[in-house]
Amino acid sequence: MNSSLQQFRYETGESLNIAVYQIKANKIRSFLTALGVIIGIVAITMMGTAINGIDLGFEKSLSMIGYDVVYVQKGSWSTMGQWWRYRNRPDIETRYAAEINRIIEGNPGSELIVAVPQMSTIQASARYRDREILQIFAMGTSHDYPLTASGDLSAGRFFTAQESAAGDAVCVIGDDIASGLFPDGRATGKSVRLKNHNVRVVGVFKKQGKFLGLFSFDNQLIMPLGAFTKVYGKTPMVTIRVKIRDEKRVPEAKEELTGLMRRIRRLPPGKADDFGINEQQAFKSQLDPIKNGIAVAGIFITGMSLFVGAIGIMNITFVSVKERTREIGLRKALGARRRTILMQFLIESVMICLVGGIIGLATALSITVLIQNLLPDFPVSFSPMLVLASLLISVATGIISGLAPAISASRLDPAVSLRYE
Amino acid sequence: MSERPFIIRISSLSKHYTMGDQLVKALDKIDLDFRENDYAAIMGPSGSGKSTLMNILGCLDTPTAGRYELNGQNVAEMDDDELARVRNREIGFVFQTFNLLPRLDCLRNVELPLIYAGVSPEERLERSRKALEEVGLGDRIDHKPGELSGGQTQRVAIARALVNHPSIILADEPTGNLDTATSRDIMDIFGRLSDAGNTIILITHEEEIARFTRRIIRLRDGRIESDSAP
Repeated sequence: MNSSLQQFRYETGESLNIAVYQIKANKIRSFLTALGVIIGIVAITMMGTAINGIDLGFEKSLSMIGYDVVYVQKGSWSTMGQWWRYRNRPDIETRYAAEINRIIEGNPGSELIVAVPQMSTIQASARYRDREILQIFAMGTSHDYPLTASGDLSAGRFFTAQESAAGDAVCVIGDDIASGLFPDGRATGKSVRLKNHNVRVVGVFKKQGKFLGLFSFDNQLIMPLGAFTKVYGKTPMVTIRVKIRDEKRVPEAKEELTGLMRRIRRLPPGKADDFGINEQQAFKSQLDPIKNGIAVAGIFITGMSLFVGAIGIMNITFVSVKERTREIGLRKALGARRRTILMQFLIESVMICLVGGIIGLATALSITVLIQNLLPDFPVSFSPMLVLASLLISVATGIISGLAPAISASRLDPAVSLRYE
Repeated sequence: MSERPFIIRISSLSKHYTMGDQLVKALDKIDLDFRENDYAAIMGPSGSGKSTLMNILGCLDTPTAGRYELNGQNVAEMDDDELARVRNREIGFVFQTFNLLPRLDCLRNVELPLIYAGVSPEERLERSRKALEEVGLGDRIDHKPGELSGGQTQRVAIARALVNHPSIILADEPTGNLDTATSRDIMDIFGRLSDAGNTIILITHEEEIARFTRRIIRLRDGRIESDSAP
């Protein structure tokens, strides 16, 4: 008379009612049971959030340094931390930029557009009247610098080719320096004091944020190379920034640039390069081991807590089956089939896990929001995929941990369980 | 009287247990029939096999050997799920300890068999309400078992046994936990149900309860000792 689908629906409805009642009636027990799942879900979402955040922060930061710029430096980014390998290499010199540019001009098919010298120091400070900003990043470069870097100006202009060639004492400053030295907002036209030199501000960069949460572009002061060496002398931190024609042809550009550099350095064939050519891809390969480390640790912690959680749920469900032996017997006497009882207990353990998973997600979300508020530059990101994965894992934990007790409940002998005291 | 159709036909039915290394013949080649609208009591001292017979009649257990035909279906060879279906459709249980779920109100307790029968929620409520009215508890449908007297609780259990219109009502010591006056009330209800055409089998060890029925089956040592009108 009634379709079995309908019966299944009614039985499932009854199972849901029972599960909700049981969880409500044993709140503390259910919560303690779900704790393992809660911790597991917090762990997995925090891990996922961290990895997402690192990726996102990285993308953001890499877009700051540009995909179409390669860097000629003494060392190589992809083997960062092995500075001793480069110790004996000759320093990069700013004149290479001019030489590279001269060769590019003579070669219309070049993959390279322009080379820009960059000499910098982190041991700089800037003063204006009684205000002083310590630890700024001062850089000397050419008027072509804006071609190789992101960052619009919020006021003024970049220095001109004439100022660059003459080494005029002019500078463009980052937003933090501007707001620090000139709280009234009018920086252009004023002169900041670097060591014992006055340098006139001609432009201010828009706020850019931190690169990888570490290095701030808003803390930099850029001036013509000639002016830089007048203030700071020659520093060993030299980079040649080279803008390339096509960001999809980075390897070709690097190869061409390597050839140019070998020519400039007059390296005979067979001798190894004594310079590094870097691009942002190198950063990414640096990052993978970190991401993997976080993932492995996260999976381990998650696995452990879910395992402990699953055992707890299994245990509690066994207790619950024992406590409700008579009820199971009665329900069977009244017509509940094995799978009905099986479902009832599975739904109960899945529901506990799901509630635990949702509590875990809520906890992780609050932690994420808290971190974002306390450390706005720290890269965190909560993704919908993570929510879905967490809920699926919760359900799976519920099924796995509830299965054994549910099977034992479904196999109870009704005649015996009805007499169980 | 013999015109009424058979509901239960049992032939050379046995149930054996092994306890340690001893074989216990709880039921030993019993032949027993019940016809529609029978009102019978199964009696016997403890160990006589009456609980075993009650479990087998109620499809809670299967015999070791022999045939048990309930409404033409051979129950002896059914698997667990088929037995569950037969219990749901054919048998209304009334237990000595009532076995109501304390957290559910009367209406929800009574509708339980209908859930497993796949009856829609609206029809469940309707039929449960009717069954409770039949046992005189129409005004208590939203009470929980804890708020009722023993007699009222057993009447809820009877309503639950009736609600799916079973072929037989199987009552295991239904007055065992009740005082004399309340027991009489309960037996009045069974009397009325019998008059209305229901088939009722009681298991009891009390002579005065058995006297309410129209047939008394006495068991001893797993065999039928007598089967007669009171």
